[in-house]
Amino acid sequence: MARNVKLLLASIAALLVFAPQTYGQDAKLIEAAKKEGKVVAYGSLESDTSDAISKAFQKKTGIEMEYWRASATKVMDRAMTEFRAGKPLFDVILTNDNPLQIMEKNGLFAKYNSPSAKDFPKDAIDPNLGPRYRNVIIGIVYNKSMIKPADAPKSLEDLLKPQYKGKLVMPDPTQHTTTTQWVASLFKLMGKEKADKFIHDLAAMKPILVESLLPAAERVTTGETPIAITYVKYTFMYGQKGAPLDYVRLGKMMGDGHYAPLSSKAPHPNAGMAFIDYFLGEESMGILAKMGEFVNRKGIYPPLPDADKIQFVEMVDLDTKGFAEKKKEYTKIFLQ
Amino acid sequence: MNHRTAAIRRALPTAWVLKRAWSFLSQPINWTFLGVAAILAFLSLYPSFFLLYGSFTDSPLGVPGHFTLRNYIQAYSDPAAYRLILTSFVFGIGASGLSVILALTLAWITIRTDAPFRRLFELTAVIPNIMPPILISISWVLLLNPSNGLINATLMRIFGLGQAPFNIYSLPGLIFVEGLILTPLSFLIISAALKGMDPSLEESAKTLGSNEFGVVGRITFPLMRPAILAAATLNFVRAVESFDTPAIIALPARIEVFTTKIWREALGSFPTNHNLAATYGIGILVIALVFVYLYRRFTSRVESFSTVTGKAFRPHQIELGGARYLASGAAFVLLIFLVVLPFVVLLLVSLLPYYHVPTWDTWKTLTLHNYRYILDTPRVHRAFGNSLFLAIVGASICMFLATLTAYLTVRTKIAGRGLLEGLVFIPWAFPGTALALGLLWAYVDFPIPIYATIWIILIAYVTRFLPYGLRAVTSTIIQIHRELEEASTACGAGFFATFRRILIPLMRPGIMAGWIILATIYMREFSASIFLYSPGSEPLGPLMYFLYLDGMRGRVGALGVVISIICVILIAFAQRLSRWEAS
Repeated sequence: MARNVKLLLASIAALLVFAPQTYGQDAKLIEAAKKEGKVVAYGSLESDTSDAISKAFQKKTGIEMEYWRASATKVMDRAMTEFRAGKPLFDVILTNDNPLQIMEKNGLFAKYNSPSAKDFPKDAIDPNLGPRYRNVIIGIVYNKSMIKPADAPKSLEDLLKPQYKGKLVMPDPTQHTTTTQWVASLFKLMGKEKADKFIHDLAAMKPILVESLLPAAERVTTGETPIAITYVKYTFMYGQKGAPLDYVRLGKMMGDGHYAPLSSKAPHPNAGMAFIDYFLGEESMGILAKMGEFVNRKGIYPPLPDADKIQFVEMVDLDTKGFAEKKKEYTKIFLQ
Repeated sequence: MNHRTAAIRRALPTAWVLKRAWSFLSQPINWTFLGVAAILAFLSLYPSFFLLYGSFTDSPLGVPGHFTLRNYIQAYSDPAAYRLILTSFVFGIGASGLSVILALTLAWITIRTDAPFRRLFELTAVIPNIMPPILISISWVLLLNPSNGLINATLMRIFGLGQAPFNIYSLPGLIFVEGLILTPLSFLIISAALKGMDPSLEESAKTLGSNEFGVVGRITFPLMRPAILAAATLNFVRAVESFDTPAIIALPARIEVFTTKIWREALGSFPTNHNLAATYGIGILVIALVFVYLYRRFTSRVESFSTVTGKAFRPHQIELGGARYLASGAAFVLLIFLVVLPFVVLLLVSLLPYYHVPTWDTWKTLTLHNYRYILDTPRVHRAFGNSLFLAIVGASICMFLATLTAYLTVRTKIAGRGLLEGLVFIPWAFPGTALALGLLWAYVDFPIPIYATIWIILIAYVTRFLPYGLRAVTSTIIQIHRELEEASTACGAGFFATFRRILIPLMRPGIMAGWIILATIYMREFSASIFLYSPGSEPLGPLMYFLYLDGMRGRVGALGVVISIICVILIAFAQRLSRWEAS
């Protein structure tokens, strides 16, 4: 009973705090945000992108954005530690689905319905975390100067052809968490039976295993290994600098969804909400797309050929036990 | 009467204890010991406590949990773990052994001979300590990978070979690269000890008919034992604990080492299993403490290493005659491997628009874009300021503490002095990321509001890297004969006067070597700073790490080049200052 009363009181308090500002990046919200002075975000969003957004946000609202960048797991470690110690310094977290779900279960986030959410497809909105602002897509990337587009693989199954033996690099699925998740989600693209066989056959190809998705892409730009399983956005990122990269048009591709939830104990709650409204807005999503990101706001695409034709499939979420089991399973398949 | 006797009996032990305590505290050396012990215990035990506690609990750090031995069972009941520990031992011994051999050769040529350009060699030998280890590993992959490594490709073209002569993706490749990464640390410790050696023993051997190489083999190197062991101990644990080089080289070669297992099961698991990481850390801690014990045993007869005595001496230089050019040539070849090749690759990476193996067309695309980023970005300027502050202030505080600790552990007979050394090593033995979380936990709720300021990073740096300073300074204090302090005390000088006027000037090579090691590490450190910095207090290490994470290899290269140049200036300045003070 007492617990229910507490819950009710907490809900009323939360409503009182957030309800007046729930909708609209109006002048009132910006004014209140300005009084708070700054917004603090922790995230795994790339520094260049966050720098560009921070500048544009400050120009538009006059509010300074402070950003602490780390890998998704480190973002979670720091945010949870501060939260448990009762000293959270962050207002917003910008990272991917799996760690955010864990943080959400631990009560780190407040529900905030940003008015900018209306421009996102309904299936890209999480009931707790809000709009999935970008999809980080994993596919097949290859070096055009080493493999002619006509000779490049056309599907995931093509990677098993003998001519590609010794030419494929991928992150170690027993080490790299996102790759563990990608391999474990392959059934979503090809069904369980086919996926199981594909995983065994892929391991039998003895792909070169590296630490994460970035070194996999870099080995393709250097020409050390011509084909990689890596983020498709690297095709644009390195291509812009002159690297001869292209990606295989697989149609359906899997990846990670990223969100921007508000902290439930934000030291600057108004600034946090004003930032989320701006961040999910057209200008900010345009900046992200220009930098090669696949954003979910309707009608905005990265400057990558056929980007609008990619059908995004979100990878399955794994819990701690799930990850441990899959890593063990893949150790047997890929390393023994 | 009975009551009175009983009261006296009760009071006597108390009075005895008080008297002993008073006589203990009346000696300045003793309260210095207590002060240093308190500081070290706080720095070391406070964050380590969270990790130690974490290894025995089933909930995340900071959350009350239940006592469990499950982490230990999981970590050490797997037979594969011992196979991997064995591989790590081979890797650690190989890499630290190689680093000591290279460092001894280089230090002997630069300090003890009249080889031309020796000053320049001495200055440049430290550069690899400045470059992030991950960049050195990547440079060697670019040079020696079997597909299109620059050296392999060149040799194949020149000699018409059908297959690449070298394969970096192998255990020898791993040992080679890690050995090169570890050499500057060995070089600094060994060269400091060589500088402090009295040549009279060598001269006696020569008088008795030994040739130059006989002297080196029978006199010089045996006397260097404390320094060699210090360097080997530090580097062995550093290699066993390292993840950067194995991640770049061992993983594609499918070689498993102990840290790969730690990464897979603990640090790289999702969410990170810090309890298990801390448990693995305890294993590395035990290994480190065994090595500290062995080091103390091997150097326990300290008098036999004392070569710095009351008699005046000037560093003796061996005249090599015509062979001095050969010695310079050998040093130059070593420096090509240690400094020139990785630095050239770093420079190239900083000038390339994207990371690739250069062809003739590449030269047309070289750009200064990455250097412009350094010049134009206020965030980079702020990071330079923060790192310079941390390097200069942090290294100075650390060396002050290390010098006091070295004196107390080597020179005094105070009970429990050995514990000080153990305390220093505790935080160092935990994997960097695990310790960073321990530090975060320790200081996030600290009563003095230092969390999210630059001071917390300073504390973290001193905590983690004190062993480097301690080892560098201990190996030189062992060389100083007691007669000098005794003479000072006999002349009426107290502990502080003797310490300041006799020991510190004589220990200067060790202090300077330690300072340089620490300042260069602090300029680029990231694993301890990553959790602790806040946007305003961001040092260069995390900035470089994020640029690396974002695929901005060119910017990391450019920052690496600029940091190397700043560090060389810093080192030259420190060395000049030390010589100026000495004169």
